[in-house]
Amino acid sequence: MQAIPTDIIKASDLNLRIGSTQLLDAASLAISAGERLAIVGPNGAGKTTLIRCLLGLTQPDSGHIEINGRPLSKLSHTELARQISYVPQQLAERISFTAMEFISMSRYAYGGGRGAGGGFKQTDEEGLEATEQAIELTGVGHLRHQALSTMSGGERQKVSIAAALAQQTPTLILDEPSAHLDPKQRDIIHDLLAKITREQNISLIVITHDLNWASAEFDRIIGMKAGQTMVDTQADAFMQKQTLMDIFDADWLLHPHPESGRPMVLPSPSQKP
Amino acid sequence: MTDHTKSKLLVALLGITLLCALVTPWLGHILPQWDVIFRPGADDIDAIIFWQIRVPRVLLSLLAGAGLSLGGVVFQALFRNPLATPFTLGVASGASLGVTIAIVSGIHFSLLGLSGTSLAALSGAILSIALVYGIARASGKLSPTTMLLGGVAISFFFSSLILLLQYLSDAGSSFRVLHWLMGDISRASMDSVLQLAPFIISGVLIVSLLHRELNLLSITDDMAASRGVNVDRSRQLLFFAVSLMVAGIITVCGPIGFVGIMAPHICRLIIGSNHRFLIPASLLFGATFLTLCDTLARNISSAAEVPVGIITAILGGPFFLWLLLRKNRSLP
Repeated sequence: MQAIPTDIIKASDLNLRIGSTQLLDAASLAISAGERLAIVGPNGAGKTTLIRCLLGLTQPDSGHIEINGRPLSKLSHTELARQISYVPQQLAERISFTAMEFISMSRYAYGGGRGAGGGFKQTDEEGLEATEQAIELTGVGHLRHQALSTMSGGERQKVSIAAALAQQTPTLILDEPSAHLDPKQRDIIHDLLAKITREQNISLIVITHDLNWASAEFDRIIGMKAGQTMVDTQADAFMQKQTLMDIFDADWLLHPHPESGRPMVLPSPSQKP
Repeated sequence: MTDHTKSKLLVALLGITLLCALVTPWLGHILPQWDVIFRPGADDIDAIIFWQIRVPRVLLSLLAGAGLSLGGVVFQALFRNPLATPFTLGVASGASLGVTIAIVSGIHFSLLGLSGTSLAALSGAILSIALVYGIARASGKLSPTTMLLGGVAISFFFSSLILLLQYLSDAGSSFRVLHWLMGDISRASMDSVLQLAPFIISGVLIVSLLHRELNLLSITDDMAASRGVNVDRSRQLLFFAVSLMVAGIITVCGPIGFVGIMAPHICRLIIGSNHRFLIPASLLFGATFLTLCDTLARNISSAAEVPVGIITAILGGPFFLWLLLRKNRSLP
């Protein structure tokens, strides 16, 4: 009897070399249902390459990826799209689809996505329901008929998240979801993601440079450097002076948050000129 | 604009296309008697002009216009570039090179009912796509920019090969190549309509079945893949469909530029970017546009007919510039 796998995604020993650059060096990652995982590390550490492998967008030279106990290579394109959805770093600004058109395109893997409004097949009640639910949860109802090209960065990011939710997958992967946003919009996106995982029991894999957010909102943090998944530990255990030194090569102060008590990173005064 | 409004707009566009198809055969230096409509096989001058010259010509320009316009829609989505068309990307020059070789070498054969010239055009079109793919793959990744630049390079290379072949050939074939290169519908006959129709119909069918894939591919390849699209297979099918249509058009009418760039943009401005509506709108608009251009081409001068390719290019040049200089771009 095969045991039911507890990890819904399990990647082990991934290697990828392009030219003389080792993009991934025995990188590994596992996530269980409902878990929130942050991937941090300096630029060029291989974070995006790692998630691209999980999404089937990049083929590693060697290594093994299992989705729900099945090898990734055995899954069809649509089967994979029903397991993992993806919010890219930033949607191109030129996209002239309306929010509704864009969100309903996420139903592709279910045979839907024929367009806005009445674009679903009569029988795709589920698709219409999933789309409406995603719109309600993300609060983008008022943007329904607005073109993405005319939205602000924050609005576009919310629509992008709504689209990923409409894909109804157990896992959601986001690449720096708040990197390009102002502090207020950043908080709105962070709150939205917290609400989603709370209400939908979706596993979250997020690449971020926001260590304080990772510390406050995530169960586990993976620290990457030079293609290696160097540290993989509970959020509290990650926020240690030595660990941060190892990953980022920077000497930061750590201080507990005045209300939550979670460790926070502060720039070290000595680094200022 | 709601989907309902867009559907109504499509019906209106269909009406305009039908009207254009019904009216344009009557226009010209000779105005046929209205009753020729009941005499399709007759051999009086009116019936011959109407049924054997003008009707095939209108049908041919409707088919070619629809195909050229749809080719532009597909390439603009795949390359996510407003200037991408089968002409800017070497597919048309590949097909043209095939036809030039067929004309200059004077070979005549047919295979499975397809003429040697159209097979040469199709081979040329597919060869240029394969080269563009090969160049992009060799450079590491299949980015639209690399493919676009590769296509432009191949387009120039093939065009110079055409000129070389033309230069080296005898006066007779040289003139035939030159006249054909201007893009011309004047040699239309029912045979050429029947020759082109299967190319256009199969191309349109393939593209229409892939409208959801086109929507996602027009965002990014990664987005399409993460939503479940088999990107490589969809792209190959779409390239094949465009090659079919372009090869058919190039064989029968010669290279007619700019329809593929203008029609999709104008339709996108009117009906939006959703390919479910954009595909039928571009088909109808392209068909109407080329038919009107050709009607103009055969009436503009009483001395001689102007090849329609010249009319579309004269209209297309300024449009191309307007597109380049337009500030508020949200394309494709």
